[in-house]
Amino acid sequence: MHGTGPSKPVMIGFIGAAVVCVIAIAAVVSIATHPSSAHRSDEAITANLDGCGKGWQPTSAGIQTLTVANTSVSGMEVYLESASTGAVYVDLENLGPGVTRSTRVALAAGRYRFVCLPADADPARGPVVTLSGSTSGVALTPGIRPVTRNDLIPAAKAYEDWVQSRLPVLVADAGRLDADVKAGELDQARSDWLTAHLEYETLGAAYGAFGDYDAEINGMPASGHTAADDPDLAGFHKIEAMLYSGAPSTQIAPVTSALVSAAAELEANFPSARVDPLDVGLRAHEILENALQFELTGEADAESGTELATVDANLTGTLAALAPLRGILATRYPQMKQADAAIEQSRTLVESFRGADGAWRPLSDLGRPQRQQLNASISKTVELLANVAAICDVRRAA
Amino acid sequence: MRAPDRSPMIGRRGFVGGLVAAPLGMAAGLAAPGLSAEARAAEPAASYPFHGVHQQGIATPAQKYSAFVAFDVTADSRDQLDAVLRAVTDRARFLTAGGHPHEVGLTAPPADSGVLGPVVPADGLTVTASVGASLFDERFGLASARPARLRTMEDFPNDALDRDQCDGDLLLQICAHNSDTVVHALRDVMRATRGGLQVRWRKDGFVSPPRPSGTPRNLLGFKDGTSNPAAVDAASMSELVWTRATGDEPEWVAGGSYHVVRLIRMLVEFWDRVSINEQENMIGRSRDTGAPLTRTHEFDDPHYELDPTGDVIQLDAHIRLANPRNAESKKQQMLRRPYNYDAGVDANGNLDMGLIFACFNQDLERQFVAVQKRLADEPLVDYISPVGGGYYFALPGVRHAGDYLGSSLMKATA
Repeated sequence: MHGTGPSKPVMIGFIGAAVVCVIAIAAVVSIATHPSSAHRSDEAITANLDGCGKGWQPTSAGIQTLTVANTSVSGMEVYLESASTGAVYVDLENLGPGVTRSTRVALAAGRYRFVCLPADADPARGPVVTLSGSTSGVALTPGIRPVTRNDLIPAAKAYEDWVQSRLPVLVADAGRLDADVKAGELDQARSDWLTAHLEYETLGAAYGAFGDYDAEINGMPASGHTAADDPDLAGFHKIEAMLYSGAPSTQIAPVTSALVSAAAELEANFPSARVDPLDVGLRAHEILENALQFELTGEADAESGTELATVDANLTGTLAALAPLRGILATRYPQMKQADAAIEQSRTLVESFRGADGAWRPLSDLGRPQRQQLNASISKTVELLANVAAICDVRRAA
Repeated sequence: MRAPDRSPMIGRRGFVGGLVAAPLGMAAGLAAPGLSAEARAAEPAASYPFHGVHQQGIATPAQKYSAFVAFDVTADSRDQLDAVLRAVTDRARFLTAGGHPHEVGLTAPPADSGVLGPVVPADGLTVTASVGASLFDERFGLASARPARLRTMEDFPNDALDRDQCDGDLLLQICAHNSDTVVHALRDVMRATRGGLQVRWRKDGFVSPPRPSGTPRNLLGFKDGTSNPAAVDAASMSELVWTRATGDEPEWVAGGSYHVVRLIRMLVEFWDRVSINEQENMIGRSRDTGAPLTRTHEFDDPHYELDPTGDVIQLDAHIRLANPRNAESKKQQMLRRPYNYDAGVDANGNLDMGLIFACFNQDLERQFVAVQKRLADEPLVDYISPVGGGYYFALPGVRHAGDYLGSSLMKATA
């Protein structure tokens, strides 16, 4: 991500489940239940690793306030799981030694237990506790089986394979752009530019793995600069600014040459790069977060007015990031249908701004109601996709 | 902006229903004459009941902080509009009562922004929903049920309306004792309605404390709202505020109210260069005490009958035009619930501040519009510039846990 200019940010995940070192000394976890509307028990309960959660004695289903104290000398992660399904309802991550943390959870009647996961030791399961009673009128906390690194590695690999299959296309697109610039065919070059740029804009979950190539290929101007006047900017936005401001082909050619080189190097080096398993789920919503922030505001535009074409490519890129996660999400995300419908609705809306001749209407051409419809549709979509990132956070197997 | 013309003292029209408007008193008492300072300064309520015949945020004593946020509905069907109204209701019901946010476990980002801490306090929050005339176009099949007097706010003679800061399908007036509570509520409601609503314009406001006593001051330095009707008086509310399902009004409007919002910029740098006598003559009150110039104390009746030719309070003074205190003007009184705003600077470096004039009317024409017309070209118009706002209709109250904002409107058009 560090290049000649700032590129679109890729949020760094905060998972890294248990990055805390552990000394293999019996950690002690004390768990207290606090009074709540559904349950009253004031007695603090202590358990050690051999009996994680031992002594948890809730009396009824419903809202629980749990106070968990890690009295050991090492960091720990604590789950509250269903003993029947393995679904996890509470994940206290990175609970430092000596730290007490409270959390609330609304549980249906059923069988539950705590799982203590020290950073470098096997998980320890606590005794099974049975909750009973009605929870009608209570908004229950949904539980899911945690998504592990092992679950996500095949997904990341599948995504890498797909990206690798697209890179030759990107290289060829960039080559055509470069050739037409050098031939002085600037009308054709503008068309080539869009094709190549849109290809890149479909690869949004891989930008983190692209490293510096991302900035070389698709960097944004530095603060205080435009794409036209940023002397350090390279890549698509620089070329766009030149193609749409009447720059002569001799000035553009070095920049398109550099783009071809960067794309070719990326293609050659990508097999040794790794898409972080976390990134796939995270980028499933971040690609469109970027579209909202940089495209639908017009901020990324360097005079081509192709913002909506980019958003359309970003929708394709979002579906590409989701594709390898489908199996993981099928049993964990009941609203996936709504998310897919929102993506489809957004795509239909965005493509309604494309003329019969294939030309995209510039954002600046749209009136307020049209901008509102676009912002509403993409905003609703990211709201639904944010849950994908939460679900696909990398967690330890219980 | 038009060139100011101070000498003839005629120019731009002014303060809508009244520059001299202010919170209905921070506490129960409104600016009711005879109410002690102590009573007006009483502790505000920690929460206001969400369910009732009328919405909160109308007769409710003005909380210190507000956001006026007008939305356009982007929902593309009647069913989706219905879902938006239910979502606003659900969130407002929770937020105005306070409590623990829903726990989503591992499956989603936190349900709550956390801005107010782990347990959401009610903090005097009210969320008042009002519909604009544009909601009654062809999109949702509501045209036949438009409140009879609801229309797009017209440009009055001295206005400089920027339509980007006007109108909208749905106005939320969000008020609370603290500004973080207002912001928290706005974020929560917007998140719950993502896809269905888009903000059209927004202005945040505050009510100043009494300085040193009596009715709070606006940013011209004058007490504003002294002669407001008492919101605690059910009889005057019934005569002046709550719309009735009579005449040409559709049945569903009963219990609602015409809600007028005017964003009135004050040209404060210019105003501060005006002599105190000229300021007071334009308003008709003493700046220090708030008393009408004919009298000594803030809540004194100006007794215009003793000053028929305007020797003391000039005939075009703001308070005299706004409320001439005759039989006719009694029926024209509206319930003002204004907030000051302070929103940065303009392109020339002048301060952008003024008044969010908000008022509630039983009958838009009989009250706000009649008074507004009378204020045309008052001297004050040189120092103020109405730039935004709109006409809305505050929906009837949500009666119970199964009811929702706009249910009577949706039923009436089903």
